[in-house]
Amino acid sequence: MDSTIDKLVVQKNFKYLMYAFIGIGIISLAAGFMLDPDRAWANYLLNNYYFVSLAIGAAFFGAIQYISQSGWSAAFKRIPEAMASYIPVAGVLFLILYFGMHTLFQWSRDGITATDSLLAHKAVYLNIPFFFLRLVLFFGLWIVMIRLLRKISLKEDAEGGMTFFYKSEKYSKILIFIIAVSFTLFAIDMIMSLEPDWFSAIFAAKSFIAAFLHASTVIALIAIILYRLGYFPMLNNSHLHDFSRYIFMLSLVWGYFNFVEFMLIWYGNIPAETVFFVKRSGGAFGALFFVNIALNWLIPFLFLMPRMTSRSKVFLLPVIVLMMIGQYTELYYYIWPAVVHGAKFGILEIGTYLGFLGLFALVVTNTLSKASLVPRNHPYLEESIYHQF
Amino acid sequence: MNEKYLVGVFDDEHTLVDAFEKAIEKGVVIEEVYTPYPIHEILQGMKTRTHITHAAFFYGLLGVILLHGGMYYAAVLSWPMQFGGKPSNTFPSFIVVAIVGTILTITLLTLLTFSVRSKIYPGRKAKIIDIRATDDKFIILLNQDNMGIEKDAIIKLFRSNGASEVYEKDANTTDKQLSNEL
Repeated sequence: MDSTIDKLVVQKNFKYLMYAFIGIGIISLAAGFMLDPDRAWANYLLNNYYFVSLAIGAAFFGAIQYISQSGWSAAFKRIPEAMASYIPVAGVLFLILYFGMHTLFQWSRDGITATDSLLAHKAVYLNIPFFFLRLVLFFGLWIVMIRLLRKISLKEDAEGGMTFFYKSEKYSKILIFIIAVSFTLFAIDMIMSLEPDWFSAIFAAKSFIAAFLHASTVIALIAIILYRLGYFPMLNNSHLHDFSRYIFMLSLVWGYFNFVEFMLIWYGNIPAETVFFVKRSGGAFGALFFVNIALNWLIPFLFLMPRMTSRSKVFLLPVIVLMMIGQYTELYYYIWPAVVHGAKFGILEIGTYLGFLGLFALVVTNTLSKASLVPRNHPYLEESIYHQF
Repeated sequence: MNEKYLVGVFDDEHTLVDAFEKAIEKGVVIEEVYTPYPIHEILQGMKTRTHITHAAFFYGLLGVILLHGGMYYAAVLSWPMQFGGKPSNTFPSFIVVAIVGTILTITLLTLLTFSVRSKIYPGRKAKIIDIRATDDKFIILLNQDNMGIEKDAIIKLFRSNGASEVYEKDANTTDKQLSNEL
């Protein structure tokens, strides 16, 4: 078989554009660190978390396809694999957070445990060495598992046979348990501990569902873009319907978790919990609360419900773009009031986002171009190509 | 009501779909197809699109409006509720009741719509053309008054496409003989 046709060829212009994006990101971050370090670190954390949650969500998506032995998605499994390959890069970027710890995380400031008895109580868990130990441990586990799955997947391409499928399924089962525990603690570390006095039991589950949801939308987006470029000739309405079902289902779960968190805090009316929403009730954040719900739940709920719209690229694309914005506004809603103490949005935010987007796109396209885009010997490949319902 | 039917019995999905598609191509008017489980090709080929999903959406909308209206009336207008200094209009907590109530509304109303549209009611005698259709056989049913093409041609078509049996049947005769054989 000719191996040159079915591999993704990354256009030079695209690469240059992505390098330009990274350049913009570096420049705006550098300017940010000089002019407004709080905001720059908040941007750094937000974008890092944004793209690592896409990568983890994609790894989870891929694992679920193996565990449920889904046929329809077999042809597209390189996309989640490629997105997950961003994790090692993200790991390095997360380690740089060490220099911004005091700016971002209240609990890490020197001497705060002497005045704040609650934080002194939590210091056993929330302290800088243990924080980075956890970070290294989580990324280590993720990288090991994802490398392993990728290696099996490439071996399957070369040799064929059922053994690799069963192996992938077995390791996928291990991966989802690892993600369940590690991403829970990771989200608590990175986002919830920004407000160290506040806690919410469903926060981690909500973060995980947001990651899974937005990763599904980005997987669908990449599949559609590659189809437009002529790479996935088999992509038909039924595949799109399955993608949009994932998005629809997960956005319902997201809406449910979001509501449950707010409702219980509102109804219980305990000051330690309501402080989170009181801080975010005025001005731009009050509006952002509803924007979040509209972007992440209401729009996909209404637009992806009818059979006709959930099968058409024309409807799916704008919904995907809006949900990518929704993931940003959700994180903005968590991070900004805790770190920046105001709704500042400008060139710095856009520039940093573009920088990380360029890096993510480069890593993903680079991994996609390294192996045949459609897996060759996946047992469900035929079923996936002729998928129709 | 004494309609005469032509019944084609098939043993598996593939021969049924084959025969079904060829028959449609030749212009045969198919009255009904009975299968042990839903088959996409048949659903599309019969062109019987249902609007019950749209009805369900609007029942849901109706349920949301009625439930919120009802709770607002009960808790704010009719007898303003006082609970620990909270406002009478405790909107976010209405949603919990509204979700469950909406599901119930949709379920009951679509069930009712479906029953009315397909004329099903408690105690109605089931119209079973071939008792084996309730087991593992696939049945294509044609009305002899309106079949599209000649009867002999259809029988030939069915037989050549793997029908295990083709027979004629009056709507009023019972299946006793057949069920005894089974």
